[in-house]
Amino acid sequence: MPAPDPTPDRENSGRKESFWVQAARYSQLAFILPAALVVGWLIGTALDRWLHTTWLYLAGILLGIVAGFVELIRTFLRDAK
Amino acid sequence: MPEQLWFTEILNHLFAAPATSLLRTLHIEPKYPAAPISNSFSMEVLVFAFLLVLFLLLRSRLSVDRPGALQHAFEGVEGFIQGQSEEIIGHHSEGYTAFLAVLALFILFCNLIGIVPGFESPTAVPIVPLGCAICAFIYYQSQGFKHGGIGYLKHFLGPMPALAPLMLPIEIVSHLARVLSLTIRLFANMFAGDMVTLVFFSLVPIGFPIPFLGLHIGVSLLQTYIFVLLTTVYLQGAVSEEH
Repeated sequence: MPAPDPTPDRENSGRKESFWVQAARYSQLAFILPAALVVGWLIGTALDRWLHTTWLYLAGILLGIVAGFVELIRTFLRDAK
Repeated sequence: MPEQLWFTEILNHLFAAPATSLLRTLHIEPKYPAAPISNSFSMEVLVFAFLLVLFLLLRSRLSVDRPGALQHAFEGVEGFIQGQSEEIIGHHSEGYTAFLAVLALFILFCNLIGIVPGFESPTAVPIVPLGCAICAFIYYQSQGFKHGGIGYLKHFLGPMPALAPLMLPIEIVSHLARVLSLTIRLFANMFAGDMVTLVFFSLVPIGFPIPFLGLHIGVSLLQTYIFVLLTTVYLQGAVSEEH
């Protein structure tokens, strides 16, 4: 019987995060949603000024909200696996 | 004229004219041409000089046989950050320890300098945490490109090629939001810590502010840890093979 490859075990054990790492990862969720919204708004406003439009800031806000939720869901899914 | 700390006054006395002319060369008009150097910048310079002297002192006293207390302390810091990045990134994380350790020490001393009378925490001004966050952002993105080459861009395109045009702006916003998130967390905590200490110090100057100084030290350590930990987590995301 061949010896099992040690690499997958090492990889798996590397993914077991300590309490502090998980706490830090979750603590950023409170910030990432409003931060993504603000970044989206800033990008939209900058594009509005550059392209002389009036609606891109709204698209930026929506994009920021989506980006925040994507990051939120991704973090939850990573730990739910 | 803005209110200046004594160290800022010295720097402005010595370097106001060259600093103003440098800013004007870059087409930036300083608000106060006679005092272009701010308190936060002077505190950063002080922390930088302190760390430089500390590292030079450490370098001159390095010994394998008889390590001193300073060497033990810094080996402890290096070992802690190395262990942390090993846990998060996995093997081949040694190359990132130098940057993470310097970032941690700089932020820690910037946070702690506020408890010394006559100084203030530069991290309680948004521009300094923003600078640290931008450094962390540039570093983890550059390591991502260094590790994955042009294939690193796939991290921004999502798992399905059909969704790539939609995922690209979302990922860009998401990555930029990390910079803002790191900035606001550090700034808000240090600003609040300073304010709480200041308020209680102005109410009861003797004895009562001591617990709040302890709280300030605790917050300084915790925020440094979280900043470096999240930078390590972002690094892990940039250099990992999966996606």
